[in-house]
Amino acid sequence: MTEKVLSKQNLNIFINTLLSRGEEIVGVKKKEGKYAFGKIADAEEVCLDYDITLLPPSMYLLPQREALLKFNIAERPVASPVIEANPFILFGVHPYDIKAIELLDTAFSTDNLDTNYLSRREAATIIGVDCLNPNPNAFCPSMDTAFTDKGYDLLLTDIGDSYVIAIGSERGQALLKGCPDTQEATQVELKRKEEERQKALGQYKVALDTPLEKLPQLLDKSWNSSLWEERSEACLSCGSCVMVCPTCFCFDVQDDIELDLVEGERYRQKDACMLVDFAAVAGGGNFRDDKTSRYRHRMYRKGKYIMERFGKPGCVGCGRCASACLAEIASPAETFNLMRGESK
Amino acid sequence: MKPKIGFFDFTSCEGCQLEVLNFEGELVELLKLVDIVNFREAMTEKSDDYDIAFIDGAITTEAGISRIKKIRKQAAVLIAMGTCACLGGINCLKNFRTMEENLKIVYGDAAHYYDTIPARPVDAVVPVDYYLPGCPMNKDEFITLVKALLLNKKARLPNYPVCVECKLAGNVCVFEKGETCLGPVTRAGCKAICVTSGRHCWGCRGLVNDPNIDSEKEILQKHGLTTADILERFRHFNGYLEVSK
Repeated sequence: MTEKVLSKQNLNIFINTLLSRGEEIVGVKKKEGKYAFGKIADAEEVCLDYDITLLPPSMYLLPQREALLKFNIAERPVASPVIEANPFILFGVHPYDIKAIELLDTAFSTDNLDTNYLSRREAATIIGVDCLNPNPNAFCPSMDTAFTDKGYDLLLTDIGDSYVIAIGSERGQALLKGCPDTQEATQVELKRKEEERQKALGQYKVALDTPLEKLPQLLDKSWNSSLWEERSEACLSCGSCVMVCPTCFCFDVQDDIELDLVEGERYRQKDACMLVDFAAVAGGGNFRDDKTSRYRHRMYRKGKYIMERFGKPGCVGCGRCASACLAEIASPAETFNLMRGESK
Repeated sequence: MKPKIGFFDFTSCEGCQLEVLNFEGELVELLKLVDIVNFREAMTEKSDDYDIAFIDGAITTEAGISRIKKIRKQAAVLIAMGTCACLGGINCLKNFRTMEENLKIVYGDAAHYYDTIPARPVDAVVPVDYYLPGCPMNKDEFITLVKALLLNKKARLPNYPVCVECKLAGNVCVFEKGETCLGPVTRAGCKAICVTSGRHCWGCRGLVNDPNIDSEKEILQKHGLTTADILERFRHFNGYLEVSK
């Protein structure tokens, strides 16, 4: 598809037009010197030159907590599914987060279809933006997530006074029809886009020493490494790394009942393998009751298990975990590089 | 038959009992399920015939020891409610001075009229069946526990640190703002209310089951606290625990 160009000023008009039409837009806003996704009320709030958000946008597709069914346990118990999915626009998603969403798409449509996730996904329009200002802990080029040519409806690239817009779907094209100010992108503008992207690639400070496709083999050899214990010694089991991760999709399912003890709901909420009770089972056992085995398990999820099961890496290199970890042990790139150093 | 509930106060600010009265909407619903038969802060009638006892406050006197033992004998289920009852709480600050000093500071010349012993949590004296930590205790946890008891289900506290709820709340980490926090070792369940409100975690809900204290201390030191600062920070609510000694 041909690419378009829109001036920055007109993009703001476009956003406000969408808002006045009643579209719900979730975009990136400033928050105490950082950035966070949130509901947009005016185009002025939207930040498109951010480095990273505190929490990933995938939480709008897989909420931290959501009802799965409502039940009533009166004499004749009944239960009915709850599926909440209202159309909305996820605005300003970086390519690594788009790729993380693609992983969730695969995970939630493999074997059992997850209706709750897939309905919300279908309701979401994704407008991406190239990350030209990477987080110091990010290693996206190593994970093949610095750029993407799919997974979005529209994708913007900042070329100075305007944005080049790539159209990724019919939905995206239809949305742009409401924006009469777009022009066909010229060769010069497309060249500038390429230059901006190249410049961004030069800014990453962390890189994997192992080719992405060789990670599972590297980990195959590393199971008994003493580095796991050394690295995890300072682990607080605080879950920060997994709470901010865009590819972590594990959840726990519980029932909650009203004070009438009749009506209630079954819900799922975020759960994660770095938490002590994650692998606890009935009878008091726990498959991973020490921090070393939890730490190693997470790294295997990121570099091996997910890739082998879904054909996509379980880590997109965004660097959120490394930024959030007080013990400074969470970066998969750093860990994999240490393993690689040891296996040489 | 509706279970009979009693609320009993020991050494505390009684704020946790006040929390119960703050339930408003839920209180009416709750009273359809249980009978409150003893609640000094809320009613005049008193009965010693109860099934479930909620204990507010730490044990800090010899008289308190015999009273809590009597309550334990009567109650089929005994619940420690709030940080003072669960952990000893701020009452344990006095444990770092002699009892004579404490009495003199507080009562001056009248010190000899009073009895005081080192403060301790309820479970240092009698077995406790359930805990509702927090300063004050958390309303949702209270209701969840009562529902679980009525349905004969197990009620469990979160066994992960405040960081989990803090991250999910979308907060900027306290350490990134140049301050320090006990969140990484403190039991969650408060939805990180203090950090969300712009402060740091003081540890009022006690420690998680298997806290990495060494790592937390190292991180606090790296962020500027001295060993004495760290001790003081833990003693604020967790003075009864090993970590504060």
